[in-house]
Amino acid sequence: MSAAVDVVPAIGREGAATRGARWIAYLVVAIGALFMLAPFWFMFVFATHSRSEIFNLPPPIWFGDDLVRNFKLLTERIPFWHNLGWSIYVAAMATALTLLFCSMAGYAFALMEFRFKKPLFGLVMATMLLPSFMNMIPTFMIMDALGWIDQQRALYVPGAASAFGIFLMRQFAATAVPRELIESARMDGCGEFSIYWRIVLPLMKPALGTLALITFITSWNNFINPLIVMRSLPNYTLPLALRSLQSTMNTEWGALMCGSAIATIPLIVLFAITSRQLIAGLTAGAVK
Amino acid sequence: MTRSSDVKPGPRTLATTRRSLLAAGLAAAVAPGARAAPSRTLTVAAFPLVDQIVKDAIPQWSQRHPDVGINVVMRQYDDHHTAMTTALSTAVYLPDVMALEASYVGKFSDGGGLSDLLQPRYDIGRHRSRFVAYAYDQAINRKGQVVAAPTDIGPGTMLYRKDLLDRAGVTAADMQPSWDAYVDAGIRIKKATGANLIGNVRTFKDLMIRGGLQKGQGIYFDSDSNVLVDTPRFHRAFELSLRMRRNHLEGHLETWSNEWAEAFRRDATATELGGSWMVGQLANWVAPGTKGLWRAAQLPESTWVSYGGTYYAIPRDSDPAKKALAWELIEMMTLDPSRQIAALETQDAFPALLAAQDDPAIAEPQAFLGGQRARELWREAARHITATAVHKQAKFAEDAVNAALDSVLDDGMPIPQALSDVARLLELRAKR
Amino acid sequence: MRLPNFLRLSPKWAPYVFISPFLILFAVFGVFPLCFSLYLAFQSWEPTGGLKAMEYVGLDNFRFALRDAWFWKALRNTLWLAIASGVPQHLVALPLAAFIHTSFKRLRDGVIAVYFLPYITSTVAIAIMFNALFSQDYGLINAALAQLFGMSHVDWLHDVARIKPAIAFIVFWRYVGFNTVLYLAAMQTIPGELYEAATLDGAGRWRQFFHITLPGIKPMIFFGVTLSVIGGLQLFEEPFILTGGKGGPQQSAMTSAVYLFREAFDFNDFGGASAMSWLLFVVVALLTWITNLAFRTRKGLA
Repeated sequence: MSAAVDVVPAIGREGAATRGARWIAYLVVAIGALFMLAPFWFMFVFATHSRSEIFNLPPPIWFGDDLVRNFKLLTERIPFWHNLGWSIYVAAMATALTLLFCSMAGYAFALMEFRFKKPLFGLVMATMLLPSFMNMIPTFMIMDALGWIDQQRALYVPGAASAFGIFLMRQFAATAVPRELIESARMDGCGEFSIYWRIVLPLMKPALGTLALITFITSWNNFINPLIVMRSLPNYTLPLALRSLQSTMNTEWGALMCGSAIATIPLIVLFAITSRQLIAGLTAGAVK
Repeated sequence: MTRSSDVKPGPRTLATTRRSLLAAGLAAAVAPGARAAPSRTLTVAAFPLVDQIVKDAIPQWSQRHPDVGINVVMRQYDDHHTAMTTALSTAVYLPDVMALEASYVGKFSDGGGLSDLLQPRYDIGRHRSRFVAYAYDQAINRKGQVVAAPTDIGPGTMLYRKDLLDRAGVTAADMQPSWDAYVDAGIRIKKATGANLIGNVRTFKDLMIRGGLQKGQGIYFDSDSNVLVDTPRFHRAFELSLRMRRNHLEGHLETWSNEWAEAFRRDATATELGGSWMVGQLANWVAPGTKGLWRAAQLPESTWVSYGGTYYAIPRDSDPAKKALAWELIEMMTLDPSRQIAALETQDAFPALLAAQDDPAIAEPQAFLGGQRARELWREAARHITATAVHKQAKFAEDAVNAALDSVLDDGMPIPQALSDVARLLELRAKR
Repeated sequence: MRLPNFLRLSPKWAPYVFISPFLILFAVFGVFPLCFSLYLAFQSWEPTGGLKAMEYVGLDNFRFALRDAWFWKALRNTLWLAIASGVPQHLVALPLAAFIHTSFKRLRDGVIAVYFLPYITSTVAIAIMFNALFSQDYGLINAALAQLFGMSHVDWLHDVARIKPAIAFIVFWRYVGFNTVLYLAAMQTIPGELYEAATLDGAGRWRQFFHITLPGIKPMIFFGVTLSVIGGLQLFEEPFILTGGKGGPQQSAMTSAVYLFREAFDFNDFGGASAMSWLLFVVVALLTWITNLAFRTRKGLA
C-alpha cells in the first residue's frame, strides 16, 4: 500500500457553520462506532445473566453474576471443549494448507511461464464469482461420495483451493519477488523447490501473514459447510454447535450467549493485534 | 547456497511436527476415556428425550447381554432426523437402531431404507395385537411392510387452567361439544380473566384439520397424491382460526418461544392443545410455577389425534451381524411393560404397548394436574385414534398451509383464495 | 541440501508441479461437484433410497422450479434484501470514508478497526445475539425505541413486514465498515495535489467530494458494489439463523439460498434444488453483468 499520503483537503477558512457541521460529523461517527460495538457489549453482558434476566424488561445493561452457571450449562448441553477444539483444529489446518498450496500456485502463476497459464488463471478467477449456494449440494454429494461426511477434513481440505488466496499470492509475488533473484538462483544450481522455499516464501511473508489471518477468520466463522457436512454433535465446530443449542425447545439463552461470546473472543483478540496488517493486506489486494 | 551441515530441522519439519502434535493433543482431548470395552456395541441413534429412555434401559440389557454394549448417539430433534436422512441416503454411519418420530416414519417408509420387520427373523406381525392399533398401522408402508416398531404415543389432549376457567364460570364440558363451543368459551374466558384461550392459533388449526379424515387419507394429500387442502375441513379450520384472531383469543406467540412460555407463567394463556407429553414440558421448564392449576380433558368435538410418538427402526443396510441383537433391544424397549412404564414415569412417554396401559401406574394421580388421573383419560383417547397416512410432501405442505393461515390472519386474505393458492402450490409438488 | 538428480524438478515441469495441489483440489472439490450438480439437475432422486435411486427426468426439475411460487418468492425476497441492505452500506460508507480520510489522523486506525469488527465476527454468534435483541416483548431494540421515540413494541421476528428490515439492518451493520475500509484505502491513492488545486480554485468540500473523490475511486466503488451484489444474492446465514432455518413468517425472510437449502435438506428434493441453483446462477450472472455494464458506460465518459 502506498505510504499514507496524508491528504487533508480544503481546510482553509472554516466558518462557524462548517465547524459546527464538522463536530456533528464527529458525533455521527462516534455514534456509529457505538452501534458497531453495542451488540458485542450486550453479548458479553448477557453471557453473565440467566435466561430470565436476559428476557426482562428492561434488559440488563451491566454484567451479572451468572457467568459460571452459564458456562456450566453450556458444557452440559454441548460438548463445548470438543467443539472449540475442532474449530481451532480446522482453522489451523485450513490455514496451513491454504498457505502452502496457494503460495505455491501463486508463485507459479506470477513468476513462471507455462502453457495454459492465462486460461487457467482466468478459470480460477471466474470461480470467485460463483455464488456460494452453487456449492451447497455439490459439496454434500462429493463429501458423501468420498465418505467424508461428518469428518473434519471435509471442512479444511476443499478450502485450500482458495481462488482469493491465489489471487493475493500472485499479486504479491509479482511485485515483491524480483525475477533476477530467481534466475540467478537457478543458475547457481538451486533446485526449484529450494527456490520456492528459501527465496520466494520469505519474501512473501507479509502476504502470507494476511492470507493466514483471512483464512483463519473465514474458517473459524464458517457455518454453511459444517452445516451441510457434519452430522454428530461432538464433531461440530463451534458455530454449528451454538446453532444446535439455539434450536432446542428449552433454549438456555444465558449459556447460548456465553457460547457466542466465546466464539467471538478469539477473533476479536486476533483482530486487535493484527488489524493494521489485515486491513492493509486486504485493501492492497483490492486496490490493485 | 547453504551446506547440508547448516540445515537445522527446517521450517517444514517443524511445522509438520507442530501439526502432528496439535492433532495428537486434540485427538487425546476428543477421544473418550479408556474403559473396559465390550466385545460388541450396538449403536442407537436418538433425540431428546428418547436417548435418556434408551440409556435407562442399559442396566437391564447388560444383565441379558453383558458382552454387548449400547452406544447412544444423541442429536437435537432436527439434526437427528437430518442425520438419519443422510445416513440412509449414503448408507454410511448407519446406526443399528434408529429412533424416529412418527412423522418421519412416514417420510422414510417408502424409500426402502428401513428393514421390513414382518420378515421371519423379526416377525413383528405376531405382536400386532399387543400394540395400540393405530401406532402399529402408522408404520405400514405402501407395500404393506412394517418399517418400525412403536414405542410411545402422544394421545392428543386438552389441557386447561381450572382456576382461570372457574373465574369465567366455564367448565371443560362446556368446551367439548364442538370447536365452536371451544371458541365461544374462549370469549367468556377472555372477558372474565383477560387470558387468551391458546398461545398459538396454529396449534388449534392443526387439530381441526386432523379431525374427520377418511380411511387412507393423509392430512394434506390422499393416497393418490391428490391435494386435500381446498376442502370444507380446511375451510372450517381457517374460519374458526380467524374468529379466534378477531376475538383476540390467541396470543400470536411462536410455540416454544420465550414469549410463549412467559405467557403460561404469567397466567395469560388458559388452555393448550397437544400431546400428553406436553404436561411434562409444562411441569419441567415452561411453567412449573403453575403446578396444580391445570387439568386434562379429551379434545373437543371427539377429535382423536396423535401428537407425535416414537418408533424404533432397523436400517436395511446396517451391519447384518448385529441385526438380531438390534431387534432384541427393540423388543425389550417396546414389548416389555416394565421398560414402557419406566419411560412413562421418567419422560412422560405414553406406552404404545397395551399391556403397559393396564399397569397400576396409569391410575396414578398427576400432581401437576391437581391429582387428576389423567393417564386413564389418555389411554381412552388412544383407543380411538386411527392411523393417518403421511405423504412425502407433508412437511412442505405443513409450512405452506401455515403460511396461508398467516396470510389470512395477518394480511386479511380471503380464505377461499388463500386455500386455492396453497392447493395450486401443492399440486405442483404432489407427485414429485 | 541437494536432491539426487532424478528427483529434482526441471524448470520445465516445475510450474505444473507447483500448481498441481491447487488444481487437484480445484478439480475434485470445485469443478467435479459443479458438473455433478448440473447432472443432478436432470435427475429425480429419493435420497433415502440410496445413491442408486436416481432417475432421469429431463427438464422436469427446471419446469417445476419455474412454476414454483416459492422459488419466485425467494427470489423477490433476495432481491429486496440485497438492495435494502446493500444500498445503505455504500451510501453510508462513502461519505464516512471521506470524512475519516480527511478528519482523523491519530484515531484513524482505531476508528477503522471498530467499524471493521462486525465483519470479522461469526455470523452465527451475531445472529443469535440479534435474535435476542429483536425480541418483541423483552428485546433491547424495542426497549430503546420505546424509550427514545415512544414506539410500541414491534414484532421484528414474526411480522411479515418487519423481519426483512430487521435482517437488512443486520447485514448493513455487518458490512458498512468493510466497505468504508475499502473506500478509505482507495481514497488514499488520490493525489493530494488535485485537492490543493481545487481548494485554490475555490471549490468547497462537497464539490471536491463529488468531483474529485468519487470519480477517483470509481474502480473501487465498482468492486465494492459487485461484491455487495453477489453477496446480497447469496444471503444465507442471517436469515437462516434468525428464522430457525425455516424462512420466517409466510416465508418472507426466505432467501434463495435458504430455500435451496430447505429444498435439498428439509424436503429432500436434491434434483429440484440443483435445478434451482443453476437457474439462480443465471440470475446472478445476469445481474453481475448488468452491474459491469453500468459502470463501464460511465467509465467511458470519465
